[in-house]
Amino acid sequence: MEIKAQQIQVAYGEYIAVKDMDIHLKKGEITTIIGPNGSGKSTVLKAITRLLKYKKGTVYMNEKDMLSFGSKELARHIGVLPQSHTAPPDFKVKDLVSYGRMPYQSFGKRNKEEDERIINWAMKATGVYDLREKSITQCSGGEAQRVWIATVLTQQPEMMFLDEPTTYLDISHQLDTMKLVKKLNKESGIGVVMVLHDLGQALEVSDRIIVMKQGKKYGEGKPEEVVTKKMMKDVYNVDCDIVWIDGRKKPLIVYKEI
Amino acid sequence: MKSAKNMYGVMKVGTVVIVLLIMLAILCVVSISVGSAGYSIPEILQQITKEGKSPVKVIVLNLRLPRILLAIMIGACLSTSGALLQSVMKNPLADPGTIGVSAGAATAASTIILLFPTMTGSLPLFAFGGAALACFLIYSMAWKRGVDPTRIILSGVAINSVLGAYTSLLQMLNSDSLQGVLAFMNGSLSGKSWYEVRILSVYCIIGLILSFGCVKSANALQLGDEMAKSLGIKVNLSRILLSAVAAYLAASTVAMVGMIGFVGLVVPHIARILVGSNYKVMMPVSMLLGANILLFADTIGRSIVPGMEIPVGIVMAVSGGPFFLYMLRKKGASYGN
Repeated sequence: MEIKAQQIQVAYGEYIAVKDMDIHLKKGEITTIIGPNGSGKSTVLKAITRLLKYKKGTVYMNEKDMLSFGSKELARHIGVLPQSHTAPPDFKVKDLVSYGRMPYQSFGKRNKEEDERIINWAMKATGVYDLREKSITQCSGGEAQRVWIATVLTQQPEMMFLDEPTTYLDISHQLDTMKLVKKLNKESGIGVVMVLHDLGQALEVSDRIIVMKQGKKYGEGKPEEVVTKKMMKDVYNVDCDIVWIDGRKKPLIVYKEI
Repeated sequence: MKSAKNMYGVMKVGTVVIVLLIMLAILCVVSISVGSAGYSIPEILQQITKEGKSPVKVIVLNLRLPRILLAIMIGACLSTSGALLQSVMKNPLADPGTIGVSAGAATAASTIILLFPTMTGSLPLFAFGGAALACFLIYSMAWKRGVDPTRIILSGVAINSVLGAYTSLLQMLNSDSLQGVLAFMNGSLSGKSWYEVRILSVYCIIGLILSFGCVKSANALQLGDEMAKSLGIKVNLSRILLSAVAAYLAASTVAMVGMIGFVGLVVPHIARILVGSNYKVMMPVSMLLGANILLFADTIGRSIVPGMEIPVGIVMAVSGGPFFLYMLRKKGASYGN
């Protein structure tokens, strides 16, 4: 499984949000897209998952034009957790997670046992199995986010796209979510593509980082190669030092004192 | 947030369905015996099983029974229509009026009754056509790279007001022959017979079967457009199909008995409180509940004032409005969030 985007251009009306974008995503990797507000991170994520139409360029999934896939077929290959999602307040965790099976069901046709098995697996893998009878409004923000991730997992995608999965969460839930993503990637080999705001977290969990600036790709590569003093100045206009600490595998960003 | 649990889905679906069925049966029995001429059940049974014609037999079999069946079907159709539209618009205030069904039917009906009175016989056909046309107009105006709920609602407001103005003007200019129009505007089951039952039952059964095919997409649309899309739902297509089924259901009833408001708006809400938002259970419960409520309203309408019939449309509006406000205040807090 691989996704290749070539020379993608996305526009909202007259405004070109993303241009000349090449992306190559491989299964099994965690790729994080970073960049300042309005740099086109989420737009790229939406374009390569077909949530948004692009004006120019092509996205290939396994060498085939992504537009040629049926919408259900696509949903069996990739799972997307958009930034905005809602659930009716009375929906139980289990109900919500079971929606992930929709791409596998057609009118009057479904495999109940298999659905059940995968729904339970996804809830256990994300640690929400014990919440399954609770309504979604009774879950904390962090729990709810895990429930949504479980819903996406239930699609059994080869690649999972998460648009700012940690926004609105407190730090402990942010870290929990990141640990969960890392765990899922390690254990089941699922590819993960995320948009993140927190550069520290991006450094920690990613195999590869893509940096966006003003709708274009600024750079791409291993976290420690991409997140540099120069990049921080160029892209974010922020002064900082990148420091290594003994015993940690990844460097830290130390911002200039305010 | 704790209160949310107490508000929603507290009752078992099976219990709710059985209670509603029992209530419907009781209502049928009551409705068949009350009216301007009241009969007791044993009396009715005795007369019906007898050979030959008797006034009781005529009233019960040719007037009350078809009327009961009509009320049940109309209640089910309007409630289902409202339930579907509430998912399409992602808005709990959507009802068949939102997409122009009422205004379109009223426009066509007024035109026929007031300007072409000789064609009044084909009124249902024109009302249905008017409803469909208004609905189509609203959707094509709202179309811009897909159908966005807000745009549908806004273009609905605009087109509804234009059609409303036309209807009002027409009525002002022809104020001497308003009787028929008024009867249409305040949907009434009075004087309906097996003829209407036969026609509506065909439309109703087709529509309700189609609506069961909408359950999946109606549910998925509740999760937000992007989430629905990423689950493999064709969001625009689903919106249009769901709206088409909803318009068809509502237009069928409007064509047969005129406009009855509030059922499509209120019933899905109550159903949601009773069994939750999952359309797989919420929609069938809406159908049953709608049948109950409309039959109840019609029975009240034709028995509360002796010697006079109050159209069911008026009973619904009078009782539905305050009830809706009450629910809004009671559960506003949990629904608003």
